[in-house]
Formats: sequence, C-alpha cells, structure tokens
Amino acid sequence: MVVTHSAARGTGSLPAPPPKKHHSARVRREAWVFLALALPNLLLIAFFTYRPLLVNMYYSTLDWTLGSTDATVVGLGNYLEFFTSGDAGSVLGTTAVFTLATVGGSMILGLAVAVALNQKIPGRTVARSAVFAPYVLSGVGVGMVWLFIFDPVYGVLSWVLRGVGLASPQWINDPNLSLLMVIIVYVWKNLGYCAIVYLAGLQSMPQDVLEAAALDGAGPIRRFFLVVFPLLSPTTFFLLITSLLSSLQAFDIIKIMTPTGNGTGTLIFEAYLQAFGAYNRAGYSAAISVVLFVLLLVMTGLQLRFVERKVHYA
Amino acid sequence: MSRTLNRRNFFAVTGLGLGTAALAACGGPSTAGTAVTSAGTDWSKVTPAAKITFMSSHPGKSADIEAALIKDFESANPGIKVDLVTGGANYEEVAQKFQTAQAGNNVPDVVVASDVWWFRYAIADTVVPMDDLLKAVGDKTAGFNATLFGDYNYTDKHWAVPYARSTPLFYYNKDHFKAAGLPDRAPTTWDEFATWAPKIQAANASKPGYQHAYQYPALAGYAGWTLQNVLWGQGGGWSKEWDLTANSAPSVKAMTWVQDTIVKDGWAGVSSKDAVSDMTAGAISATVSSTGDLVGTLKAAQTANMNIGVGFLPGGSVSASPVCPTGGAGLVIAAKTSPERQLAAATFVSFMTNAANTAKFSAATGYMPVRTDADMSAVLATTPQIQVALDQLKVTRSQDYGRVFLPGADLEMANAAAKIMNEKADVATTLGALQDKLDGIYNKTVKPKLKS
Repeated sequence: MVVTHSAARGTGSLPAPPPKKHHSARVRREAWVFLALALPNLLLIAFFTYRPLLVNMYYSTLDWTLGSTDATVVGLGNYLEFFTSGDAGSVLGTTAVFTLATVGGSMILGLAVAVALNQKIPGRTVARSAVFAPYVLSGVGVGMVWLFIFDPVYGVLSWVLRGVGLASPQWINDPNLSLLMVIIVYVWKNLGYCAIVYLAGLQSMPQDVLEAAALDGAGPIRRFFLVVFPLLSPTTFFLLITSLLSSLQAFDIIKIMTPTGNGTGTLIFEAYLQAFGAYNRAGYSAAISVVLFVLLLVMTGLQLRFVERKVHYA
Repeated sequence: MSRTLNRRNFFAVTGLGLGTAALAACGGPSTAGTAVTSAGTDWSKVTPAAKITFMSSHPGKSADIEAALIKDFESANPGIKVDLVTGGANYEEVAQKFQTAQAGNNVPDVVVASDVWWFRYAIADTVVPMDDLLKAVGDKTAGFNATLFGDYNYTDKHWAVPYARSTPLFYYNKDHFKAAGLPDRAPTTWDEFATWAPKIQAANASKPGYQHAYQYPALAGYAGWTLQNVLWGQGGGWSKEWDLTANSAPSVKAMTWVQDTIVKDGWAGVSSKDAVSDMTAGAISATVSSTGDLVGTLKAAQTANMNIGVGFLPGGSVSASPVCPTGGAGLVIAAKTSPERQLAAATFVSFMTNAANTAKFSAATGYMPVRTDADMSAVLATTPQIQVALDQLKVTRSQDYGRVFLPGADLEMANAAAKIMNEKADVATTLGALQDKLDGIYNKTVKPKLKS
C-alpha cells in the first residue's frame, strides 16, 4: 500500500511528522571545530584523571604488595576487610570530625573575618592580603612552622605557656590533641580563602535591600542574619562544596605534623599509610581510595540535590 | 546508511574508546605469578654499564661524604658514572620511591634500604642476592662485620650489604649528672638509672625549660627499635624468630616499667620530635639515640657549650647483655635492571663499603664501620666517643623478626607504645591488641610469601 502525502494529510487525526533534520555544511564544520578543540583536552582528562581512576578500581580487587610484580585477584575482599576489621569505624570517625571541624571552622571564621574586612577601616588592603596569604603557602612549609610552634620542649607556644607558669600540652604525642592541632592549622590556612570569597559576596550585595531593611528598623544583627546571610547563600553553597572536597583530600599538613597518623588517620591518610607509609598493601589502599571517591561523589550529589534548594539567588 | 556526528554521539564514542583504552592499558602487577629474576647469570660475560643511579636519603647528613665518595669512585672506575639521587629525607621516603618505581622501567640501581625494608624487597623479588655479584667484582665479603652482614642473610643468600649501620647509644648530659653528684658514666642497668633519676631531676629542675631526667625517643622515629633494649633486658621481646611475643609476660612487665617511669615516677617523658634536640636544648638529661646522630649531636652540644657523654645501653633485671639491637641501613641492588647495570652497581657497592671508605663514612656521620679491617685511628683521634659505639658493636644482637620483617609492624609498635606511654592505656590489653595485629600481618602478608 502506498500512502500518498495528500491522503495522510487528509485524515486530519495524525500529527504532522517532524521536519527532517538537515545538517548543513556549516553545522558539520562547527562539529569538527568543536572536535578539534575539545578532543585534546578530553584525551588529557581521560588519560590523567579517568584512567587512574579506573586502574585504581581494578587494583582495589587485588591482593597486591606494592613493588611486587605479581598479585592475586580477591574481588571485593579488600572492601570486606576494611568494613569488617574495625578500621572503618575509627578512620571514618576521624575523617568526619576532621572534615566537620575544618569546614565549619574555616567558613564561620572566614565569614567573621570577611565582615570585619568589609568595614571601612585603615589598612584593610594589607589586612586582606595578610588574611589570604596562608592559603597560598605550601602545606609542607606551614606544617613545619606550626610543628615548631606546638613543640612542647622548644616551641613558641610552650615558651609562652611557661612564661605564665603553665606546662605545654603534649600536642604531638596525645592523639586527641594531635587531631585538634592539625584542625587548628588547617583552619588557619583555609580561612583566608573563605574570607576572600565571602568578602566578594558581601561587596556584590544589593545595597538597596540593606537600606530598605535599615529603614524598616532592623538593627545590624537582624540585618546580618535575616538579610545578609540568606543573600550570601550562593557563596556559602559554593564554599561548602569546595571546602568539603578540599578537607576530605587534606594530606600534606597531616603527613608533616603527625607522620604515624596517630589520632589523625583520615581516609586519605589511611590510604597513604596502607600503600606507601608502612604496610605496602597497594590493593587494600586502592579499596580505601575508592571508598573515599564514592564518599566524595555521594556528598557532592547530596549537596547539589538538597542544599541547593535552600540557596537564594539575588 | 550514513550517520552524522552530534554531541551525544561524540561523547558516547569518545567515552567508550577511552574507557576501553584505559582498561586495556591497566598495566600494574601480573596476576599470573611471574617474577623478575637474574638467577643463573654468568657475570664473567657481562660488561658493566657506563652509568648507574644511586638513590639515598643521605642518612646521618651524609650527602657531602656520599658525593665525595662517588667522585673517588668515578676516578677509580672511569668507565662508570654514578648519578646520586635524593630519594627523600628518611628511609621510608626512599622506600616509597623505590617501590613505586617498580611500576615503570626506570628503577634506581643501588638503593639505601633500612633494616625494616630489605626483607620486603627480598620476598617481593625487587632486589637481587648480592653474593654472586660481589664475588664477580672480587669483593671478599669476609671483611664485613659478621653480625652486620649476617643481618641480611635469608635463604642462605645476602640480599644487602651493610652501609650506614648503627646501634642505639645512651647519651647523657655530663653537667646534669655532675650537678646530681653522679659518676660520669652511663648507668649499667635501668634499675641503677631509676635510682639516679630522682637525684638528676631534683638537681636540675630549677634550670629554665628543664623537663625530665630521661626522654624516650620520639615514637614516630622507630620506637620499636629502641624499646627492644628495655624488652630484652626484662627477658621479653617483640618476637622469638617467627613466634610473636609482644604480649608475653616479660614484655608486659617491661612495658609496664616504661609506663611507670612516665606516669608513676614522673622522671621520664616522650619526645615529640627529636630527643637529642631536646637534650641539646637543655630540657632533658639523658636519652637513647642512634650512633648515626653522634657526630651531629656532639657538634650541637659544642655550640650550646654543653658536655655530652655516651655509653652502652643499660641492661635489665633479667639480661644485662646483649641488649643492644643492630640497626641502620644497607645497600641493595635492584632486580628490574639489566645485568650490565647490576654488575656496575655491585662494583659501586663494593667501593662504597670497602675498609677505607667505610672509615671515611663513619668519620663524617658516626655510623659504624662495616668492615672489621677498617682503620679507625684517624676517626677516633677527632671523635673518641665513637670508640664506645665500636665496643658496644661487639655485644649487639640482631633485631626481632617481629619488628623488622613484618610490614607495618614498626608503625603498630609506635602506636601501641603511644597508647601505653602517652594515654596511660592498660599495658596487657594494648600489647594483646598489638599481638593480634602483628599476627594478622604475619599470616596475611609474610607467611604466604616466605621462600623455602
């Protein structure tokens, strides 16, 4: 049966077929330009980011001693061991405490510093530079300097405490204090970043809204919590994601200040210790890295799904 | 049928292609049980390579003397150039680099390997036995100190040669001891020191920044090594060969004594970073540290106008001697190179550890001379304290397998010691948990790989 064009149109009940796509030479040309520009970058990302990720997932299924030329396939054995050996509880607990404290500390103090630096005070340009400077310093250098500050025998802090008749706490030897010590250093290093991003948010805030609130009789504290802070929510959201990812991957200062990870065994440090630090269990370490990857993925997804709903865009 | 390229197709095809390529190029270890080996090489038919790499952490601040010895080697062997590579600041960092280098094809030829690393290399087949290679370059290994060379014996082969070898020494502040009315010597036993410590503490407490009569070395710096002295003295230990004894009654007794010196008696502390630095800062009166720290410590003490003495490690209530463990590092030759490079590496290793050069290395660092025929007279003329270390070398004891042959054991021991010494944890429970950890490591990662 041949359905003529006029017959089909004459039924009146059938929708009109979509117009056939015509790929002009221009569109094809643009596609090739896109390909030429994007492909080299995609290849680099694939080779240096996704290939190691896939290879790491493969390694996580092996019982492999680092440096050894042979390995045994154990499937999900490494994951099973991590979650059943008791390591998972302490490592995930330490990771949670460290992450919450460093993200929360950096953001709260960063916001306070940003509010202070947003005032018209003399020397604020210098103060802004000084606040941001620790963020760009090498983590290794920062760790070395703070190690000297915290040293209970010849550290600066110990000297100050002795001056007022107090003994220095065992910052490095006591596992609870060593976690607090690295948290302090990370917050000090990262709060400048949060402060500068918050400062940018404060400076781009619509002044008419603030003036309207002031005219309505809202004092500075009410204005901050009911107007300024909600309007900063896109900035807070951005900082929450970036700081969280950064904290979960924090390594350098922990390694320098607490080389055995006693009290500071976060997920990433445990992955390091298992493969390179002591045990040479490359497969087990790869499994811990995959757990960290999944955790990062889930947390970022949850934030995008739920936290973004609370964000107010001006 | 023709298909046109759109964005979705492009990403799908690219992703598929790259994913396949990535998985295909996984590389890494073989799961088929293959291993690199140089067994059976006829070394007489091999010509040494023209260039090799030496990876070192420059133990005992030895970068200058290593560079000088390499220069001498190149003069004596004009056909071989040696590239000195800094592999890190300590043995662990060198080990990381050497092990990760196994994934590629550019491994260093000669590597500094500490007492806890050479065995792992040996069972992983990443290094070669030295005996045939040293024989091929005419090295009479009989000149090596038997204990130090014997430390590297496994399956009747030597997998390393001694290089920067050390033992712990007892360091004390002579001025502090004098102020307490004590003799100018190290205590012969820990019981004797326990009677001295309150006097030392009382005599020096008013000095600014003074803390303790004795400082245990930083736990991150090989606690398992130095604590063997106390354990052995009380009849305990980390293990007896492969029989783990970390929670045996004598070991619990020894670690309880350690805890008491800190918590109950209060005359001992634990260093946060470096006990000899604590000593040269005047904060403590005595500690135990490596002979590799000897020259640097004496120089620092001279700068601080301080008199430092050294002595044998004290004995215990059960055993007075031998209670001093050997330690330090040797040199290994990588397996994943060519026979030509291995032969050149053996020539270099033999040169670096010959009688004349081990004496030079010892003079520059304080490490032990590794050959019995090393002429130490010039060294002793400038640093007579080295004689104490040389005398103590005669009564040393090879370390417990549990510390040196189990991957991660040193870290587990340091963490257990931290619980006992810093957190006042129950000693028996903590050592029981350590025993379980060590047992797990042995059964999972060592026992299946032991060579027959």
